[in-house]
Amino acid sequence: MLAFNQVGLTYPGAAAPALEGVGFTLSAGEHVVLLGANGSGKSTLAQLANALLLPTSGQIEVDGLIAGERAGAGERAGAGPGSGSGPGPGAVIRQIRTLVGVIAQDPDNQIISTTVLDEVAFGPENLGLPRPELARRCAQALAMVGLAGFEERDPNSLSGGEKQRLVIAGILAMQPTYLILDEPTSMLDGRGRQEVVAAIAAARARGCGILHITHEMEYARAAERALVLAEGRLVYDGAPAGLLTDQEHLEQWGLACAPQLLTAASPIERQADTGAATSAGAPGPSAEPALSLVLQDVSYAYSAGTSFAHQALRDASLTVEPGSYSLICGDNGAGKSTLLRIAAGLLQPDHGRAGFAAAESLIPVRPGDVGLVFQHPEAQLFAQSVAEDILFGPRNLATARGQRLDGSAEQTIVTEALAAVGLDAQGFAGRSPFSLSGGEMRRVAIATVLAMQPRFLLLDEPTAGLDARGRAAIHSMIAQQRAAGAGVVVVSHDLAEFAAHAEQIYRLSAGELRAEPACEPTEATIPNSPTGLRPQPGQAQAQTPVEAQSPGPGLLSEQGGPPCPS
Amino acid sequence: MPLVVPFGQYVPGTTPLHRLDARMKLLLVAAYVAALFLVHSWLGLGVCLLLLLAAFAAARIPARLALRGLKPVLVILAFTFLANALTLDAAGTESALALIGNFGISAPGVLRGLYLVLRIIALIISTVLLTLTTSVVALTDAMTSLMRPLAALRVPTEDIATMFSIALRFIPLTAAEAEKIMVAQSARGALFDQGGPIRRARAWLPVLVPLFVNLFRRADDLAAAMETRCYSGQGRSHLRVSTLHPSHAAAGLIGAILLIALGIIL
Repeated sequence: MLAFNQVGLTYPGAAAPALEGVGFTLSAGEHVVLLGANGSGKSTLAQLANALLLPTSGQIEVDGLIAGERAGAGERAGAGPGSGSGPGPGAVIRQIRTLVGVIAQDPDNQIISTTVLDEVAFGPENLGLPRPELARRCAQALAMVGLAGFEERDPNSLSGGEKQRLVIAGILAMQPTYLILDEPTSMLDGRGRQEVVAAIAAARARGCGILHITHEMEYARAAERALVLAEGRLVYDGAPAGLLTDQEHLEQWGLACAPQLLTAASPIERQADTGAATSAGAPGPSAEPALSLVLQDVSYAYSAGTSFAHQALRDASLTVEPGSYSLICGDNGAGKSTLLRIAAGLLQPDHGRAGFAAAESLIPVRPGDVGLVFQHPEAQLFAQSVAEDILFGPRNLATARGQRLDGSAEQTIVTEALAAVGLDAQGFAGRSPFSLSGGEMRRVAIATVLAMQPRFLLLDEPTAGLDARGRAAIHSMIAQQRAAGAGVVVVSHDLAEFAAHAEQIYRLSAGELRAEPACEPTEATIPNSPTGLRPQPGQAQAQTPVEAQSPGPGLLSEQGGPPCPS
Repeated sequence: MPLVVPFGQYVPGTTPLHRLDARMKLLLVAAYVAALFLVHSWLGLGVCLLLLLAAFAAARIPARLALRGLKPVLVILAFTFLANALTLDAAGTESALALIGNFGISAPGVLRGLYLVLRIIALIISTVLLTLTTSVVALTDAMTSLMRPLAALRVPTEDIATMFSIALRFIPLTAAEAEKIMVAQSARGALFDQGGPIRRARAWLPVLVPLFVNLFRRADDLAAAMETRCYSGQGRSHLRVSTLHPSHAAAGLIGAILLIALGIIL
């Protein structure tokens, strides 16, 4: 049994503990989901479970083993040299790590080797196992995750879901009794999620105890037991069913958000007449005549003319009107980022044209006209303060026009851009972007784009990895931008989360863009919606009601096609 | 997005040169380079160049791919040639052609320059041929395998092998990430090719800072992933044993001996 007994951890130099008085058990063969909002201490708990961190109070027991009482608590515990021989804290930690396997969020950061087979062999090789045993374990682990036949492939050539399955196979080859998965699907697209969920099920069928750490409520349904972590404390341990209906507590723990928060995000103006959509809101589009953003039969191939040639886009056409909301669904590798780059004027298509529709021709897109927010935009923050980062774009634009922004103009830009993402300028403008939480960094990164007052906003997976509150903030930002007249395009694999808001849905697959038939929403069950929950009666009216054809978990919605009967 | 590798990118093939054990290829290239420096006659150099041409023909690699590898060293080649060919003592020497006063071209210098230039070209193209016919993974495997006996001298060969592997994994990832950050900052109006050197260097800060921050984050995650799987750099076993086929070993060793002999004799 893996048992946490009153475990607490305070990072060196931190004022408040990251975890406090956490107690629970996980048995072999059990499937437990651990839910918690961003910053609730989930990842700390995962690292404690296999002695990457040691608790500052309490005890963690793994099948009778207790990790290094002698090593410095609260610091990273190392197996250290010579740990393989003889008893000692190092040897105990090594044993614990073979019993408890931890899988983290980003598969790219967990793969060490240059072939699939070597990657799976890496762990067992570290244990010094004899060759026939290595071969047997590798074959078994690859078969379990469905990667048999991939042995000689380069991990860099795999899809996200395949990579994460490879990481799981690498852990399974260690033959652990417990498997801790820390947000294993948050970097993946719809297909990848299904693949990883299937791999987890296979591990469990083999008798592994599963602790699935996540902030996505959809995964709770599949578990036998649910734990909830809020602000470093364990606040729920029981059946998932009891949890899923407890809206009040879910809101309190940051796992769902109040319906009134969502109404701000729901489409206020759904009317197609775009004339009304040029209200003067700030920050928002500048007061130029509202033109549509148009892509006409756009094609693009990478490395054209070489043996690596890859057709990323094929005759894609798209019209985005001011104030409109389009959703483009597609798995990774479908050509999403190429489409966005062309729409933002950063890449010239091989064939076809892109630009603003004027009377006769297309006006090319200049920097600042179209705001582009990549997936995980927080990875592009660089300045010493939030204000400096926000001003980077506006200053570049002013320089390009031969102007200079004065102090008060700059202050206005910072205040308005932060307000647009729901952050208070006084509290954030002076802080270092690297001192913020993940959700705050995401919002600041979006503010750096909004600060240029783009007429169109392109967002690639804007809510990936965010908890319920973070998602609500993004949806509300999008609604405000639309109200101010900006045309919004969201690219996401998650049809369910955005379909209720979007006016037009496209599907991008293998470089081809197709419009999904228009569908009239009927009732509200959005499996992966910001609440993540079926709305209570009485709350439903507050939202635009939509019913997906099945209330199944959002991870299955990809296969089912559009969420509406068409 | 395929990454453009700066030097000879692997061209898959099934010729004997492609299939030869990478360790033996490394050995042969080393012997060839030694021979290049040992030969002391035009005949010797000529044989070396002919061998190289024969190797290219055997590997069925177009000449244009081989010559591409020379681009970065064109300046060095030109400098080597001119430094030898030009003389400041032209007026007093019979074999020299005076251009302006004492400044001119010396005939033995031209020959010496040509000899050196051809030697550098052969040196570079032979290594380019190695990378054209051998995948990077096979090359690093070969290097770690050749290095393994050094473990007896307490060289941390396991750690070095792991470092090779991590570098191979993360160079393309980092390049892709750098490109993505550049595009994102371009969308915010950043210009990377305007102004003087200081302004250009400053323009790269918005790319380099997040790139390094992300690299440190990756390194942290990677360290955890390795510790989770009990990596300590010691006491590892190996799934793959790279047995050296006798015919490959013979080809490599005999070839290397012949090359060195060629260098000493000619």
